[in-house]
Amino acid sequence: MKALILTGGAGRTLVPFSSTRPKAMTVVAGGSLMRRTLGHLREVGVTDVTVVLGQHGDKARAAFQDGHEVGVHLSYVEQERPSGIVDAILRARGRFIPGEFFILVYGDVVTAANPFHQILQSFNSFKGPIAGVCLPGPPTQRYGNVYLSGTRIRKIVEKPSTSGLGNYVLAGIFVLPTEVFTLLEKSEGDMERVFDALTQAPGLHASIWEEGWIDVEFPWDILAANRMVMDTWEEAQISRHAIIEGNVTMTGPVRVERGSVVKAGVVLAGPCYIGRDCYVGHNALVRSYSSLGPGSMIGYGVELKNCVLFGNSKVGRLSFVGDSVIGENVDIGSGIMTINNNMDGSSVRVDVRGEVGDSGLTKLGAFMGDNVKVGAGNTLAAGTVLAPGVCVPHHATIGGGR
Amino acid sequence: MCGIAGVASFHSIGDRLYEGVHHLEYRGYDSCGVAFLNHDHIEVRKDVGTVDEVDGKESIRHLESYVGIAHTRWATHGKVTKENAHPHLSCRGDFAVVHNGIIANYKALREALLKSGHRFRSETDTEIIAHLIEQRFTELGDVEAALVRALTELEGSYALAMISTNEPQRIFCARHESPLIIGVGSESNYVGSDFNAFIDYTKNTVILEDGEYGILSKDSFSVKSLRTGEVLDKPVMVVPWDSELSRKGGYPHYMLKEIHEQPLAVRNALSIGSDEISAVADMMERARRVHLLGVGTTYYVALMGQYLLAMLADLDVPAMSSDEFRHLDRSDDRSLVLAISQSGETYDTVMSLRHAKERGARTAAIVNVVGSSIARMVDHVVLQGSGPEVCVVSTKAALVQMILLMRLAIELGARRGTLSAARRREYETALAALPGEIETLVNEKSGLIRAAAYRHAHVHNWLFLGRGVYYPIALESALKMKEVTYVHAEGMPGGFLKHGTLSLVDDKLYTLVFVPPPSVGELHAMTMSSVEEVKARGGFVFGLTFDAHDDIFDERLVLSATHDVTAPFLPLVAAQLLAYFTATALKRNVDKPRSLAKSVTVA
Repeated sequence: MKALILTGGAGRTLVPFSSTRPKAMTVVAGGSLMRRTLGHLREVGVTDVTVVLGQHGDKARAAFQDGHEVGVHLSYVEQERPSGIVDAILRARGRFIPGEFFILVYGDVVTAANPFHQILQSFNSFKGPIAGVCLPGPPTQRYGNVYLSGTRIRKIVEKPSTSGLGNYVLAGIFVLPTEVFTLLEKSEGDMERVFDALTQAPGLHASIWEEGWIDVEFPWDILAANRMVMDTWEEAQISRHAIIEGNVTMTGPVRVERGSVVKAGVVLAGPCYIGRDCYVGHNALVRSYSSLGPGSMIGYGVELKNCVLFGNSKVGRLSFVGDSVIGENVDIGSGIMTINNNMDGSSVRVDVRGEVGDSGLTKLGAFMGDNVKVGAGNTLAAGTVLAPGVCVPHHATIGGGR
Repeated sequence: MCGIAGVASFHSIGDRLYEGVHHLEYRGYDSCGVAFLNHDHIEVRKDVGTVDEVDGKESIRHLESYVGIAHTRWATHGKVTKENAHPHLSCRGDFAVVHNGIIANYKALREALLKSGHRFRSETDTEIIAHLIEQRFTELGDVEAALVRALTELEGSYALAMISTNEPQRIFCARHESPLIIGVGSESNYVGSDFNAFIDYTKNTVILEDGEYGILSKDSFSVKSLRTGEVLDKPVMVVPWDSELSRKGGYPHYMLKEIHEQPLAVRNALSIGSDEISAVADMMERARRVHLLGVGTTYYVALMGQYLLAMLADLDVPAMSSDEFRHLDRSDDRSLVLAISQSGETYDTVMSLRHAKERGARTAAIVNVVGSSIARMVDHVVLQGSGPEVCVVSTKAALVQMILLMRLAIELGARRGTLSAARRREYETALAALPGEIETLVNEKSGLIRAAAYRHAHVHNWLFLGRGVYYPIALESALKMKEVTYVHAEGMPGGFLKHGTLSLVDDKLYTLVFVPPPSVGELHAMTMSSVEEVKARGGFVFGLTFDAHDDIFDERLVLSATHDVTAPFLPLVAAQLLAYFTATALKRNVDKPRSLAKSVTVA
């Protein structure tokens, strides 16, 4: 079976990361969402994969090229402007042979384990269209409500009139017949209509996903997804090509990749991830659920807690970065502090595209886009968002020659 | 309690032995093994672990043979070790036996065999069977005669299958008080503890009875009487279940599948002919004394029946736990015992029925599995038709049993004049609406229940409170929680709080309260006063309620019911889901919880 991954969505709410990369290229637990999806597909023997690329799609193309590094054959279809899911799928029509079934995956979905085993098992049971469904953590109004009779999907209600319902929702993973292209053409760009038509004939069966599932929509979802994946880690893995100096303390599932240097006095509290060619300075404290992408450098005495660094970023000595997400090529000076709570204990609010959104989290730090520079000595308020390329000068209190 | 599978075929049997025993894992799963004929000798592959684990180590699937037997074990005699895993070989290795049950006189037999020079490798009672048959074969020179002689010497319960190098084309099998059936295929014949052992390959089965033994080869089978040796003409039954139905389909676990199947199962239960229900009602009317019998979940079903019969039919029918029944049984020829069992093989219930029959009582049963021991031993059986229930924890079968008891109570109420014709119609309409209500609950509340389950998965102690007809619901719900999550949950009537239990309440003890709809009046008020008592001690109270205005709870799930008479079933379904999601939050082995087997066929 072949697979189609959609990465073309604009991801407006995933500030500040979506302005430089597709959502599928955000990073959790040391790997991009797309790398995870491709790995899961390869595991079930699906190696012929088409990816629909939208804005900043070159980022994905540069990372995976023809896919040989991750063991799949990748081809790409461009969707120049964000014109919706229906258009995205239709663009890939030529890749599939009429009469066959294919896997459709939304690129911004993260699961705690490989979902394709179960999806394909369900497909083998029913030999018909399958939709993965799940119960998102706290019930939200974000997704359409699925109504089941057994596993047959009876209907999908997009905007339910009653609130506070706890229905199953579409998990963004499907097995569809190529007949769906005809339905897509007739849908006038409305994906709901396609699902409606599918539930009528030939019928859409649900494959119920009971393990963790997160749709990365807001920046704090990255932290939740990172945590969810790291919680599945059972053991520590230290590359033989990593240099671990003396007096380093490790507890729990710590992962250190090749080429990394961990200096003396460091404490690594698992689960945590140190990617390739990282540098962890003397006496640094890397606490649980911290993920350092490849090429990251953290200086002497830095404390990291529950944060994701995409890669090639620096955190200067004696800084604290907690409950935060840091993009690529970010340069954080020494002695900076991310505040990660409100003093009244209320949940932290974040500026999402000019609207202040409630994260629902009482502990949340900062979100820094790619190529941000933060000068030494700064203190960042809880929920700070720094757009890509922003430069925050040193927080100097006296003197200088300028 | 264990699972037995066996195949004799023209074609290689490795994959079928593997599948057969794999599908029987719910009967027991601490170790497993196979024995098969490999040219002129018997090869045994066995170890500790699940079928998949043992297959990984010993390669069951790819073995090359045409005659073989397999076994999945749940230890009763002897520890869980490779040596104690079945199959067991005789001294010379020319007999291999798998066995389910308990040989009562195994110590005496073992002593005798030791004196004859036999040496044992394991601590099991099963191994003596292999040696005993070998000993009798040495004396008699014929495998079948040796088996028959050996069987007459065994006391206790057994289902067994045996292969021998002296009859390399055949599988021998026999049963006494443990289930065993034969599957009749084309170019292959099968033996198994139940249909699951071979349902993928054939639906034609022959049910072996106590005192019978079977001989099968790749192209024929025969069943003979142990006493007379004559060949019996046994009918071939077709299993109505589709193998697809007994698979998970789109579900992560059978438990969730079976919870979701409840609307369908209830609809099926409502379509069971009223003559079936009437026949039981007739028997009850004729009897001077009636007992409802079950054990574990089915005891709570029986207790539910007691409440329903009292409320709807003004009848006093005590529920008894069948493991205790023998001590209390004073039945006579004017008594009726109505037993409830999903598998129809539950040891305690079978024994209780046997006891009551010996005292002359009439018997009836509600059973799910066609052709099971209880289904065949009672005077009248109502087959509940809920389809296979694979998850060890019973959900849909228990709910359907309660529904059938409600139908019985309505029927008796109408006959006895406690229910007017209008009331009866009203209740039947309510029952007819129940499947739709359950479906709505499962669709619209699952996410809320899952979120609550994940929030409270850390809780170590739960009190499940209910009053009146909600009391057996609370008991059954607490059992679900215990069975599948290993979290302590104690079902209790609200009135017990004042008698000691309140002293346990603190902020770490969580209480789940089954609140009736306000329209039932007093019962609602009494339940709410129990809530107040727990709240006053600082306990956390989770309310399963029908009233959106009950805001006394720390947390609540508001259900909606169309009628008071069927309302109690809805919080039961919600509690099943709570137990399921708590189990997944705690990463439990949902379909095969520890220390539990699907049909408890041992004492």
